Amino acid sequence: MRRFLERHWYAYAMVLPVVVVIAVLVLYPLAQGVFFTFTNINEANIANPVLDRPATYEGVGFKNYLNVLSGDASYGAFWGTLVRTLIWTFGCVFFHYTIGLGLALLLNRQVKGRTFYRVLLILPWAVPAFISAFAWKYMFNAQYGIINQFLRALGLPDPVWLGQSNWALLAVIVVNVWLGVPFQMVALLGGLQSIPGDLYEAAEVDGATPWQRFVHVTLPGLRSVSSTVILLGIIWTFNMFPVIYLIAGPNPNTRILVTYAFERFFSGASRDYAIASTYGVLILSVLLVFATVYRRALRSQGEVW
Amino acid sequence: MRPQLEGTAATMRRTTLVTAMATGVALVLTACGGGGSSSSGSDSGEVTFWDTSGPNESPVFKKIAEACATKDGYKVKTETVAFDQALNNYKTAAQGGQGPDVFRSEVAWVPQLAKNGLVADLSDTDLAKDTSDFLEVPLGSTKYEGKSWGVPQVTDSLALLYNKKKLADAGVTPPKTWDELKAASAKLGGEKSFFLNNDAYYALPFIYGAGGDLVDAQAKKIVVNSAENVKALQTAKGLLDAKAASTALDPTNSYANMQAAFSSGDAAMVVNGPWAVADYLKGAAFTDASNLGIAPVPGDSAGKGSAPVGGHDYVIRQGTKAKQSSIKFIQCMSSADSQAQVAKELGLLPTRKSAYSNADVKANAVVSAFEPVAKSAHARPWIPEGGQLFDPLKIAYADVLAGKKEAKAALDEVAKAYKDTVVPEYSVG
Repeated sequence: MRRFLERHWYAYAMVLPVVVVIAVLVLYPLAQGVFFTFTNINEANIANPVLDRPATYEGVGFKNYLNVLSGDASYGAFWGTLVRTLIWTFGCVFFHYTIGLGLALLLNRQVKGRTFYRVLLILPWAVPAFISAFAWKYMFNAQYGIINQFLRALGLPDPVWLGQSNWALLAVIVVNVWLGVPFQMVALLGGLQSIPGDLYEAAEVDGATPWQRFVHVTLPGLRSVSSTVILLGIIWTFNMFPVIYLIAGPNPNTRILVTYAFERFFSGASRDYAIASTYGVLILSVLLVFATVYRRALRSQGEVW
Repeated sequence: MRPQLEGTAATMRRTTLVTAMATGVALVLTACGGGGSSSSGSDSGEVTFWDTSGPNESPVFKKIAEACATKDGYKVKTETVAFDQALNNYKTAAQGGQGPDVFRSEVAWVPQLAKNGLVADLSDTDLAKDTSDFLEVPLGSTKYEGKSWGVPQVTDSLALLYNKKKLADAGVTPPKTWDELKAASAKLGGEKSFFLNNDAYYALPFIYGAGGDLVDAQAKKIVVNSAENVKALQTAKGLLDAKAASTALDPTNSYANMQAAFSSGDAAMVVNGPWAVADYLKGAAFTDASNLGIAPVPGDSAGKGSAPVGGHDYVIRQGTKAKQSSIKFIQCMSSADSQAQVAKELGLLPTRKSAYSNADVKANAVVSAFEPVAKSAHARPWIPEGGQLFDPLKIAYADVLAGKKEAKAALDEVAKAYKDTVVPEYSVG
């Protein structure tokens, strides 16, 4: 052991700063967050060193978890919210990927003004998300918004987009799809360009139709890129907060796990850190389980990842 | 390899942004906290004032603040903070020992800030002496557990604002009851004539008018799901069903749509407070300011209309480095003269009785119209949880107006939310 340390002390010394930084920035807050879930901490009983006020919160065991997991509406109707989060996540990522792939395929050939299209399509990504969110909020205004004016002009029904119904969820999904497509498009375009052209030539010589070339050359060639961007997309979308919060506010019809955690932590008047942390831990657990399953699935398909 | 590069680029961009923001915040914090030592005796002589009034009102407060500073010999920095973010920002800053020295707090926030130890106890200062000139209900909002935590800045209430010309053309007088409003709407062109804001605060005239309340703080009871309140929400929903009123069923747009509908002349009547008047007067329908009529909110029966008391108080942050200057600042800002100036220029209601006898204040049409409304306004429970009562109610009220839930079921859920998360020590019923 001692000789081991003596031989490798340099390596440990080099790694130490990273370990310390990660411990301070990641592990300590994480441990603290987990600790809070077993207390009744809120803004009234938190310690305040500046104001000389000691902490007065107490341990409550698993009460927070029981309250949240009971699915009680006062604690965010956890199971309903989880289902909505899954609809939101997979709905968004599905359209991100399919639309992104479609656009990437279109841009991966020699068309006139290709650079111009690329710039145009990347635009939603370049605009700060909160500006897009406010713009969409105005467009979805049931009375004065351009979308409903358009629908009315066509004689179609004009739903209350951001009201107390599932239209609101659809509306925020539309916005998030619009925001998220460029990233998928750029990533997949990169993947497409790394597929060697001679594979297509060989397939063509063998008499493969365009569809067969797409299924048997393009998709397998994209697999490593796709699996990464889909995983990233799912994690980002699962925790996508600004779009929902800025467009729909604390509307229970668009509530996902992370917006509810924010509501409890920050918004309005009640700052219940314990419940918010409980949600944080549950979100982390869901994502961990998901990432593990996803990795297993990929490994069984022979991906080294 | 491409996508990973993209990912890294995105992360880097974000990291740079975060660093930039952190640096920015650090700079701001240093700037705010600069000067003076922390001991109570010393005073930095620099007062930072967070003004939460809107763009119409803020310039006037700023002007008065600067005049006060010049007169009394300290520096003042007025920072405008958006009202809907203000409480959150203040709590976060004050918890970390930062933030303004003086804060314009909504009346319902004061007990909560006091309970959390984020505002200074003013009981032993000059600000708590000689408060007999202040109106009683607004003064009540500055008290918590027998101590004094603030000084009333302005008071307000909700009233029925109407387009005089439209009502005269249709041959109707301002309605005194919700039934009269229904009848008047029919003559005024149906559902467009009255715009109902579907925010929780705007449900209070219906609730108070029907004799209901949210909680009974004295008896420690949750009464939000009482029969009176069910009837109140049914009255509101009834106006929509009878095509006597319209609302924006998307709650995030409701207030803005109400402002647009009334100031453009689309809607003939709305329920709103004095703070909205400056906004309306910019609109096409009120180029002639005298076209704006103000009447008490309708009730279930004539004369039973009742609206919540609102308004704002000045509070001093616990841990301020300029307490003495802040006290002088608040004294000057809330003096009868300053209040008269605010009333004259903005039409906001003074909290001092003596200010109402000022000739300029008497001449202000908005103030004189709102004065009886505000003086008879329904007090709200001055409990720390007072501000938290609206979040659950807001969702329930929007659900009821959208026809998604029955009033009783929606209010039962609110009662449960109050019991579970807001006032657990209260009993329901």
